Amino acid sequence: MQLDEQRTLETESSVQIDATRREDTMTINMGPQHPSTHGVLRLILTLEGETVVKAIPEIGYLHTGIEKTAEAKSYFQALVVTDRMDYLAPLSNNLGYSLAVEKLLGITDAIPPKAQVARVALVELQRIASHLVWLGTHALDLGAQSVFLYAFREREMILDIFELCSGVRLMTSYIMPGGLQADLPAGFDAKVRDFIKIFPARLREYHDLLTNNRLWINRTKGIGPLTAEQAIAFGASGPVLRGSGVAWDVRKMFPYSGYETYDFDIPVGTNGDTYDRYLVRMLEMDQSLRIVQQALDRMPEGRWQVDDPKIVPPPKWQIATNMESLIHHFKLFTEGYRPPAGEVYQRIESPKGELGFYLVSDGSARPYRMHVRGASFANLQALPTMIEGQLLSDVVASIGSIDIVLGEVDR
Amino acid sequence: MADVDTDPAANAPTVALARQVLGDDVLEVVEHRGETTIVVPPARIVELAQALRDAPDLRYDFLADITAVDWPDRVPRYDVVYHLLSIPTRAVVRLKVRAGDEGEEQPHVPSVTSVWPAANWYEREVFDLFGIIFDGHPDLRRILMPEDWTSHPLRKDYPLTGFTLPEPHWGGQVPFGEPLPPGIGQQTLRTPGGVPGDIDPEK
Repeated sequence: MQLDEQRTLETESSVQIDATRREDTMTINMGPQHPSTHGVLRLILTLEGETVVKAIPEIGYLHTGIEKTAEAKSYFQALVVTDRMDYLAPLSNNLGYSLAVEKLLGITDAIPPKAQVARVALVELQRIASHLVWLGTHALDLGAQSVFLYAFREREMILDIFELCSGVRLMTSYIMPGGLQADLPAGFDAKVRDFIKIFPARLREYHDLLTNNRLWINRTKGIGPLTAEQAIAFGASGPVLRGSGVAWDVRKMFPYSGYETYDFDIPVGTNGDTYDRYLVRMLEMDQSLRIVQQALDRMPEGRWQVDDPKIVPPPKWQIATNMESLIHHFKLFTEGYRPPAGEVYQRIESPKGELGFYLVSDGSARPYRMHVRGASFANLQALPTMIEGQLLSDVVASIGSIDIVLGEVDR
Repeated sequence: MADVDTDPAANAPTVALARQVLGDDVLEVVEHRGETTIVVPPARIVELAQALRDAPDLRYDFLADITAVDWPDRVPRYDVVYHLLSIPTRAVVRLKVRAGDEGEEQPHVPSVTSVWPAANWYEREVFDLFGIIFDGHPDLRRILMPEDWTSHPLRKDYPLTGFTLPEPHWGGQVPFGEPLPPGIGQQTLRTPGGVPGDIDPEK
């Protein structure tokens, strides 16, 4: 009896729902546990046949409260949580945060040249590493399995370089407010030069595998189109914006860390489709390599941190012999430094696009507020525009072409 | 705040335009570390945003970010912060409105989604984490926190740890059929009829 009643209720409710829905559409759920959503992105897709008529991204599955956590840490400690946002490019996050803190402290001009040049070399290597993961997974999504294996082979070399510098392969925290955590190790130069020697040929291999591959072109040309106006309106940045034909790169427009002194080009697409975004990133790796080369050639000698024991810890040997250094060390790690009250916004060009750090200081030793403008967050907002009206099988191509990292989207 | 000079020269055209559009409603102009902040009343933010976007010599077409800052001891309690950028002219400016009367649980600020579509997700994030309501927003839902979350984590009175929510705060752990406090866990509550508004896998 009860079952019958339930069944009637169900039938009634389904009739009601059908009345409000179009009969020829179907709503399906994609993610968050889907291998080609690059993490935990969930899409609610309304389909008409195989065509997507509506797409609603649902995010937040990786929300870890990094902004809240940073408010409870000293400026020195909060560096560590920035690694965990865009976990494919932790050094870029470190750099953005460090520049913001330095701006807040007013020591931007005091950063020694060696730290500046090393930072540029490291974040450009990081950009290549991040793009390699994107390339591998993007190609894997579209069925080109071997690219993934090759791309990770080169990324391994870059991670080895990071390990040499910081002892850590992923969560490096190597760039810190005031300079670098430690001096560049002996062998850094040789190891990076090895990579520079090998990489151009490897990049050509990827071009051979994909750029003129008929299958690749069919799967990416004209897929996920985004006009320049749409990209700007949605706040998209980085390769997504440049793929749509807007020559905009924070490194050129608002140079930081001495980028204005390097010679490099900004690849720009024309059609704003998946193929153009692919090409932009591929050509960017070439340019990044150029920057790394220039940085190595001009690597100066000298300090790698500012000469201010209130901001960077004194060397270990001084702590053992010098009372004042011991006090500085103690004060720095128990209390930290206190930037003057105020607010700054620092933007950098991360591999994904414009990464912005908004820091508010109330004059205490902890950031009163740290907000991160994740590039992937804004870029993902443009996804429905790209995929509505496209085929279901091309959704995966469009997602891959934005290069989202959910750690940065959800923070 | 320290290091403040009023009426800076760094972004004079933008400040001049703001004064021209809003007159005395430009509450404050702050210059800090070479960045210009213009503070305006919430009621006029859309007007100013529109003017800045359409001004032919400025063209702030790129909304980089919207966020908020909570100052619990201050009235109005919240700052809502807009970071604007102009791709044609490379100008940057920060706008700020102050919202939240004494004891007002969820302050209201007009939405700028009509000016920049990018504001959609940024405002949803601020709503989710600060509880600020953006009037005129097309789809003001939580974006990062679960839909059944009851408070706003980035407020300063929300503790980092040790916060006891009405149990169970996460609907996924609720035994089937057990009643929940009203408003809690509705999204993940599984009943024979399904969840209202959720997608039915059978259909």
